[in-house]
Formats: sequence, structure tokens, C-alpha cells
Amino acid sequence: MANYHPTDNTLAEFSAGSLAWALSIPVSAHLELCPECKQKVAEYNTVGGSVLQQANPISVKENSFEQLMTRIKTNKQIPTNPNDDKKPDEQALDERTRHLPRVIQKLVPKNKPLKWSSLTPKLKSALLTSGQNKYEVRFLKIKSGGKVAEHDHTGLEVTLVLEGSFSDANGIYAPGDYIEQKPGEIHKPIAAQNQDCLCLLISEGPVKLTGLIGKIVNPFLSITPQ
Amino acid sequence: MANSVAHDEYQTPKLVPNHVRDDNWSVLLKRVSQQDEQAFAEVFAHFAPLLKGFCQSSKTFLAEEAAEELVQEVMIKVWQKAPYFDPTRASASTWIFTIARNARIDYLRKYAKHNINSSPVETEDIWDESTDNQPFVFMKQNREEKEVAALLSSLPSEQSRCIKKVYMEGKSHTEIANELQLPLGTVKSRVRLGLLKLQTHSIFSAR
Repeated sequence: MANYHPTDNTLAEFSAGSLAWALSIPVSAHLELCPECKQKVAEYNTVGGSVLQQANPISVKENSFEQLMTRIKTNKQIPTNPNDDKKPDEQALDERTRHLPRVIQKLVPKNKPLKWSSLTPKLKSALLTSGQNKYEVRFLKIKSGGKVAEHDHTGLEVTLVLEGSFSDANGIYAPGDYIEQKPGEIHKPIAAQNQDCLCLLISEGPVKLTGLIGKIVNPFLSITPQ
Repeated sequence: MANSVAHDEYQTPKLVPNHVRDDNWSVLLKRVSQQDEQAFAEVFAHFAPLLKGFCQSSKTFLAEEAAEELVQEVMIKVWQKAPYFDPTRASASTWIFTIARNARIDYLRKYAKHNINSSPVETEDIWDESTDNQPFVFMKQNREEKEVAALLSSLPSEQSRCIKKVYMEGKSHTEIANELQLPLGTVKSRVRLGLLKLQTHSIFSAR
């Protein structure tokens, strides 16, 4: 069970649909792994339902319903039975990702290897396309026992642990854990010794390495939102 | 049968008079799932104007045409997805809210010209309300939502105002802070305190 959760504010923004697209992906994946937060979002949805009930009604056009029925009757693809609606790609899902939350499985290109690039011998990452242009979305894999250089963040960064675990000075993070980092929050993650650690990483800006190495490397760091 | 249980247990809420009971909507939606056009016409007559009002208070003000179109999109989904509606898990208006929220997200993404065709993830992958994914603890939803509505209007106005902006207008906390010229932290605590009050009034006691 996850120990680190999105804040109530983030869950409310998710429930209202105002949370940025890229940030909504790790929240959605967290909900698949965390019944408590799932429950909370269901409660917050109720607030949405009440607000809808209290909306100021505005009359729709006179023939609106007839128009709607015409559209429904001319559209033959409309399923009438829940069983007709089984997603066709359900079986084609990749063996590599079958154990991951469904929304994460969707992010992985079908029948195509991920393009991993090594940052250090113990650290590699693969850029993912998510259909937006503000945040970079990527998988990060830290080999067992691997250390990530101490770094600061230049924008919001959300990490969702998918496999294995890692730790920093603030705690130990296991699958389902959702960690939000803001600029000024410096950490030095280390993967557990027994297993590689796979995370989903959403970044608003590049990391900023601290110390001398940072002075050399930082000017070359950037993000690629896609 | 779940519907009749909800009906028997139902008590008229004191604070919200003149409200059509949600379980009536549940019964109507059940009929919609059997392709009952008369039932659908009733659901439409009640919810379409609410949805249009809901759409037109959106952060990107929608012109009348766009709001009409969005209402149609939402009502088509209501017709299509009625077989999935489970009144033991969510009330009709909460369920329709989630459909409207997803339609609004789709619309705004299209409007913002995000390259949505190249996105491997669709709105319903992220905001997945399919029933097999829901927890089994939401047995009292129908009654509770009335209380939520009543409590929402009893919150301090600055809290209910922020919560309504979040849900009705679909604004992020940052957008609300900019609009009201308040520090982000103030908006966050108003929303959080408001939601907390809604929770501690035992309305969400189905845990």
C-alpha cells in the first residue's frame, strides 16, 4: 500500500479536471494502487455532482433533443451492451508492462522498444509521449544500489514509483508512492540494493545538479515535453 | 434490488426542499440503459439546461454554439454509457458530472490545439470511472449528495466560492489565485478546509 500520496488539493483538482494533463497521469496511476485516495476522489466527485445540480440552468435550443436523437440513431457504432465495449487493444497489451497501472501501460508505445538513454552506468531514462507541451514525461530506471547525483529542481517534479524502491533523506519510496518536489528541494536518491527501481517522472523544468559537477553540466540540461 | 433499497432508506433532506430525488434519476437512467427514449427525454429536460449553465461558466467562456455542442456530446455519452451506471456507487448527477468533466477536458484540449491525435493516452484512460475500478464502499451516495449540496451552501462564502470555481469553472488553484488576487496558499487552504468540512459532517461516513 502506498505511503506517500497526492495532497487533498491535488486530488480535488484531479476530480474537477483542472489538474494539468501530464500531472494527472501519475495521480491516475496512484489511484489504481491506492484505494484510500480513490475513495477520496469519489467523494470529491460528489461535490462536483452537487455543484452541477446547483448550476444556473440555461435553456437549450428548442430542437436540441430531436437533434440529439437523430445523431444517436444515425450513429451505428453506439454500443448498447457493456460487453460490446471491451477495448480492442486489451489483449495486445505488452507483456513488459502488464503488471503496471493501466494508464502507464497506455504510455508505452505498442510493439516498439522504449528508447532508453543512459545518463550514468546506473541510471537510464526513456522519454515518453503524452500529448501535451508543458511537462516532460519519462521513465527513469535506477539500477539496484544506484545513486543519483544530488540535485535541486527548477520546476515542479512528480515521481511515481512503479517497481522496486528508492530512498532519500526524507524516506523510503515503494510502488504506488507519489512524491512531489518543488524548486529548492534538494535530494540524493538511492535505489534499494535488491532490485532495480522504475519510476515515472514528470518534470516542469530540468534538474539542477548541486556542487562542482553542476557548474559544468547544468548549462546543458533541458527538458523535452511531448 | 439496489434501487428499491436506496428508495426505502431515503429520507427527505431538511435543507434542500423542492429537489427531485436522485433515486428517481437512477430509475430513469436504468430505463435509459434499456433504450427508453421517454426516460431519456426526462433526463435531458432536467440535465441539459444544467449542463449548459455548467459549460458556460467554464474558464474558457464557451459561446452558445459550443456550449450546445458540448451538451450534446455529454448527453450522447449518457445514452451510450447508461448501462454502466450503478446507483449504488454514485448518484445520477455525480455520474453525469464526471461525464461532463471528461467532455470538457476533451474540448479544452482540442481547443488548445494540443496534438491530441498523437497522444497514446485518452481522457478516459486518466479519468477512468468504469465501475470495475471503483471501491465497494459507496452505498449511501444517493442520500449523501443532498447533504453535500446543503452543506456546500452553508460553508463560509470564501470557501464555497473557491470550491465552486474549482468544480464549476474547472479552474486550477493557481488560476483562482490569480483571478481573486490571493496568495496561492490562501486558495489552497480555503479549498482544503471547505472539502474537509464537507467530509467531517459525516456525509462521507460510508467508509
